[in-house]
Amino acid sequence: MIEAKDICLKYPDGTMGLQNIDFKIETGEVVYITGPSGSGKTSILKLLMGIEYPTTGSLKVFGQSMTKDKVMEIRRLRMIIGPVFQDFKLLKGRTVIENIILGMRFLGFSKKQMKKNAGSALIKVGLEHKALSLVDNLSLGESQRIAIARALARKPSLIIADEPTGNLDKENALNILELLTLSKDPKTTVIITTHATHLIEDIKEGMRVQMDGGHILCERIGEV
Amino acid sequence: MKNIIYNMGYFLKEAKTIIQLNLLSNVFSVLSTGLIFFILAMVISGWWASSHVVELIKDEAEISVYYNEELDNDRILELIKNIKAIHGVQKVRSVDAIEAYHRMEEIMGKDAKVLEIFDDNPFSPFIEAQINLEEMNLVLEKLHEIQDIDHVRDNRAVLDRLKSISSIVKFLGTLVVTAVGISTLVITAHIIRQGVYSNREQINTLRLLGAPEGFIVLPFLLEGLLLTLGGGVLAAALAVFTLNNVYGQVVGQLPFIPLPAREVLVSGIIVLMLLISITLGILGSLFGLLTARSNCV
Repeated sequence: MIEAKDICLKYPDGTMGLQNIDFKIETGEVVYITGPSGSGKTSILKLLMGIEYPTTGSLKVFGQSMTKDKVMEIRRLRMIIGPVFQDFKLLKGRTVIENIILGMRFLGFSKKQMKKNAGSALIKVGLEHKALSLVDNLSLGESQRIAIARALARKPSLIIADEPTGNLDKENALNILELLTLSKDPKTTVIITTHATHLIEDIKEGMRVQMDGGHILCERIGEV
Repeated sequence: MKNIIYNMGYFLKEAKTIIQLNLLSNVFSVLSTGLIFFILAMVISGWWASSHVVELIKDEAEISVYYNEELDNDRILELIKNIKAIHGVQKVRSVDAIEAYHRMEEIMGKDAKVLEIFDDNPFSPFIEAQINLEEMNLVLEKLHEIQDIDHVRDNRAVLDRLKSISSIVKFLGTLVVTAVGISTLVITAHIIRQGVYSNREQINTLRLLGAPEGFIVLPFLLEGLLLTLGGGVLAAALAVFTLNNVYGQVVGQLPFIPLPAREVLVSGIIVLMLLISITLGILGSLFGLLTARSNCV
């Protein structure tokens, strides 16, 4: 469970990233955070990943307080998170399979399990034929899918995806959203940010969070 | 630890990838550390050889003990026995007046004719004692306590100079070895810092994925170790080549210089270079990593 109580985020230059935010996300829930650029979507993800810390208020992710003095604990918490970064953060000079396996190496999986997870994640994103390709040679859409495969292969408790549809046309974008939500384990919580509100208009399940100017407006779409 | 052993293949592969990503820069790093290690190898060889020579000379420092010429043979033998018993004295032998005369003839060469003007042998018999230079003061003190000793020619000026040469060689050697060691450490640390800097995105990604710090830094440690080890191997090869040539020249032309055995020196330098490069590689990498740990996420 993720719980935020009256959190504010003020950047060192004085900009307010978030203002008096409250929310509660249950285990297994799918959350879409939408809003225009600069509305605070990425700021929330940064807080959830422990890249930034709340200036005031309290934030707990799976029981872990996200505060500056808990750096080591937060680093450990990241082991149960499957992040999909806006810029993918794939390691250049390595193959697709190496990138996916690298995300699991320190999680305690056996070699056999890592290969199995990587293989099934690649099948899910439809890029099993690219397993031995260097990530340097992938298209933006393919890189996006590999980043998702890396997150899925880790069998995380929480998937955090920052603008995973940013570089895709509508059809591919919907496929990606479907991939993230349908391929997940029932107990996996998924948080997706997107500025393309039209993409989630047809979605029937999950929670939609509309953000604007660092404020939040929650809207439940359907049963989880 | 189990995780490290389990992932050793990956760490080595990653270190190879990191090296390949900046191949040219790393080749230059190996060359420069190799040359620095070569200088170190030459300094150590020089230090080793000169210390060996000085040690030999120190061990063979001689003093001449003159005694009352009226002493009978038994008393002279007793005197020799007493001198031999002094701590720091290695060898003692009696030199009679005739031998002393011949020695002087040898030393003077053509000028020895001047000795012919003497009707009688002007030289006195004496006892020659080989002593350890370090124990010289103690030996002289003890000699003065023995009866029937007239005087001692201790060549103190020469022996003191030898002593100071030995100290200077030790001091300079330590200084150069320390300086080269620190330079290598700084260069290795710099190489690792550069590696960390050019791979900062990869490091940040791994941190965001929750990788433990040990898992992230190990490939960089291995990179530093492999680069300095490469430098060490290069230096050892150059040193072996140079030492073999230098020995060929010196032993042929200056055979009286008591150099240490070539095989001992060469194998010692190889082992030393490898050990030093491994140690400095690990220390330099750790230092580089510690000073490069900024912008943690």
